[in-house]
Amino acid sequence: MLTKALLEDCIAAALGTGGDFAEVFVEDRMSNTLSMVGGRVDSSVSGREYGIGIRIMQGTNCVYAYTNDDTREGLLRVAKEAAEALPGVNGERRINLIKAGIPQVNLVRALPHTIDKQRKVALMTGAYQAAKEYDPIISQVSVRYFDEDQHVQIANSGGLLVEDRRVRTRTGITAIASKGAEKQSGMLAPGAHMGFDFYDKIDIDTYAREAARMASTMIHADYAPSGRMPVIIDNGFGGVIFHEACGHSLEATSVAKKTSVFADKLGEKIAADCVSAVDDGTIPNAWGSLNVDDEGHPTQRNLLIENGILKGYLIDMLNGRRMQAKATGSSRRQSYKFAPTSRMTNTFILAGPYTKEEIIANTEYGLLARYMGGGSVNTATGEFNFAVNEAYIVRNGKVMEPVRGASLIGKGAEILTRIDMVANNLLCGQGMCGSLSGSVPADVGQPTIRVSEITVGGRKGDK
Amino acid sequence: MDIQGLARELFARGEGMGFLDMEVYVSSRNQFRVGIFKQEIDSYTLAQSRGLMFRGMIGGKMGYSFTENLAAEGMEALLKDAMENAAIMDGEEGDEIFVGAAPEDYARLDAFNQSLAEVPAAEKIAWVKAVEGEAYALDNRVFTAQVSVGDNSGETLLMNSHGLTLSHCDNFAAGYISAVVKAGADTKQAFAFAASRDFSCLDAAKMAGEAVEEALSLLGAEPVASGRYPVVLRKDVARAMLATFASPFSADAAQKGMSLLKGKVGERIMSEVITIMDDPLLAERPAAAPFDAEGFPTRKKAVVEAGVLKTLLHNQKTAKKDGVASTGNAHKAAYNAPVGVAPSNFYIVPGQAGYQALLAQMGEGLLVTGVQGTHAGANPVSGDFSLSAYGYLISAGQVVRPVNQITIAGNFFAMLSDVQAVGNDLDFGAGAIGAPSLFIGSLAVSGA
Repeated sequence: MLTKALLEDCIAAALGTGGDFAEVFVEDRMSNTLSMVGGRVDSSVSGREYGIGIRIMQGTNCVYAYTNDDTREGLLRVAKEAAEALPGVNGERRINLIKAGIPQVNLVRALPHTIDKQRKVALMTGAYQAAKEYDPIISQVSVRYFDEDQHVQIANSGGLLVEDRRVRTRTGITAIASKGAEKQSGMLAPGAHMGFDFYDKIDIDTYAREAARMASTMIHADYAPSGRMPVIIDNGFGGVIFHEACGHSLEATSVAKKTSVFADKLGEKIAADCVSAVDDGTIPNAWGSLNVDDEGHPTQRNLLIENGILKGYLIDMLNGRRMQAKATGSSRRQSYKFAPTSRMTNTFILAGPYTKEEIIANTEYGLLARYMGGGSVNTATGEFNFAVNEAYIVRNGKVMEPVRGASLIGKGAEILTRIDMVANNLLCGQGMCGSLSGSVPADVGQPTIRVSEITVGGRKGDK
Repeated sequence: MDIQGLARELFARGEGMGFLDMEVYVSSRNQFRVGIFKQEIDSYTLAQSRGLMFRGMIGGKMGYSFTENLAAEGMEALLKDAMENAAIMDGEEGDEIFVGAAPEDYARLDAFNQSLAEVPAAEKIAWVKAVEGEAYALDNRVFTAQVSVGDNSGETLLMNSHGLTLSHCDNFAAGYISAVVKAGADTKQAFAFAASRDFSCLDAAKMAGEAVEEALSLLGAEPVASGRYPVVLRKDVARAMLATFASPFSADAAQKGMSLLKGKVGERIMSEVITIMDDPLLAERPAAAPFDAEGFPTRKKAVVEAGVLKTLLHNQKTAKKDGVASTGNAHKAAYNAPVGVAPSNFYIVPGQAGYQALLAQMGEGLLVTGVQGTHAGANPVSGDFSLSAYGYLISAGQVVRPVNQITIAGNFFAMLSDVQAVGNDLDFGAGAIGAPSLFIGSLAVSGA
């Protein structure tokens, strides 16, 4: 981390031209990534990412520069080079940083570097065996273990100086089932803003068996049907539908430029009455949680939709200037190599009145999407797509045969109005969310919901 | 900083700790990018970064570690990390540091264009402003155009304790536009790229025109009825599909039971009209390099020839396992990633048919000009895909109307076995993977 005096000088140098705000972000991140294939550790890489990002704003214009050179001369040179991209001259600025305490929401007990690597291997071996032994049809299992310990220091010309430490771990299990020339995979990857104590809280073997169950179920499944139909999306990672179909379009990155379908719609009805949703970066130890965001502001619980009415956006400082709105503690970046912008943290639809069983019993025909894969959205048109990793046909109120290879497509604005039942079983799942400021950990979540009609892209009759 | 001196010091200290063979891989990059929105500078990025990865053999196993803090006091931790990482590896036959090849085995490759390095920022800003201005001027239905241009230059240095020292410099510039058009409540978006090592080759008017014209042509799009359709995948869509399904060609994936191409070398796996090349020496492409991620000399080779799988892609370790020679495809996803296997400049060889001729040959069917969600709706292990798509309905070889909100679904290998004709319009976009337009017998389409 840099000294207060050097940070102050850097900020002053960055404001040497016409900038009205400058920020320095210092990152020192240690990480470990272990990979096991077929029960053998086939790679183990650890290391240290280290660099400094300098951001200068002039009104709504913004310049960003980064470097790994932390020498005084190097940093002042980068700050001046960045400043030269902006017109104007400021008078001599005196910056006086005051170090502030931050809320410690995410407590970490077992720091990753204090854990012997053999224990990490033992965890992976257990998961490998649990998945492999689940069913003889499982032909291959790979396990990926990851932990990181990120120290950040954020200072700006408003006098803010904070330091935060983000510790995360995640273990992904991919099980592959083979039958003749066919292969199907099942994948789960639980993670948290926690140390190695996360694995005391969860049983990784249970996740491994679940990944194996998914693969062995799908290898026996026929292809999904095509066409529009009711779709029941199960809880947990199913929340990726809200993340893609709506969440990205509520980020100021697209709202400020009015390219989002939800721009200028605050207070308007954008979803069915049964839909309320939040983005909450304050949930202790959740995968997408932060004590402070990457602009140094405490995260908060942001109400996005209440009973179908649009209540708020996710706003960073720069886009806040464009929108004349206050930042919402939502500014994030993958690393010092990215300027921060508005992003989701832990985003989910709130629980409703039904049980999952009631939703299924009330569905004559449709698709039950048990596990979702990833997806993407075009925020300008609202068109989204995502993959279904495990699905079943629902017929006469009962869950019937499994089907594979389905994807769901539609328009966010339409899907939100077609959610007609929401269950009471809210659960979150972990993902990596990619956007302008890189790839960041994010929780998606929801209770089981039913959408009255979505286009299902399958290929039944094609097998 | 003297990186070579630092590497030699690491080798000396490493030897003292028990490392036998060692390698240092250093990537140094400089980046510039400017984005414009409504003629104002919307984003402006200047970057310089450097990362060093160390790997070494100790106790018969390979240990990896990396750092971006090259201060000398960090070197002890770097070596200690690598040693700890080696200790938990299940050592495998074939893990080794490359002894090096004769200097004449390495191709001469000029991938650094000095004139690009000298283009002033003001000229790049003027270029993006021109693209944006052009886009708005083309049609009053253009609602927003987001435009950026950037360039990236750097050096890759590989040194090992066998005395091998290799370095490669490269640079590349790429422009991008996303145009959004509105007509009433109908919003459509289209993208276009321009990429070259020569800044003067980036055509502002052409790029703006491509995006705006395409976005406008999609207004009024509607799904088609579900069913099986003959399909032409436009060159950019064919390229996206090849990029998504490139990993099964890796011998590493095959050896780990994660590729359907395992054991298929010498067999017919696709239509005989398909030939796929991997050419690291294609100097004008961004992935051009005379050596791979472990210092092995690179070369051009056919991976699929007339539908027959000629070879998988290998690094030294996978080659040793299969009893063949490395194809020079050792790859690191980033400087700090372990050595794996990946294609270099990888492309489907163009055929004879012009784009219009392909449509005429299809007669009735769908022209797909965009797919979304390849990271999620496509499974490289099974080859299966179901992807959100858009394009045009074709009748008698002519565009009838735009189509969106459909999915196309199938299996990549089955699809490439059903290729009826290959276009002559090979295109790489801004990247290393290229394809011409392809006429596919039929695909499952889900729509209205």
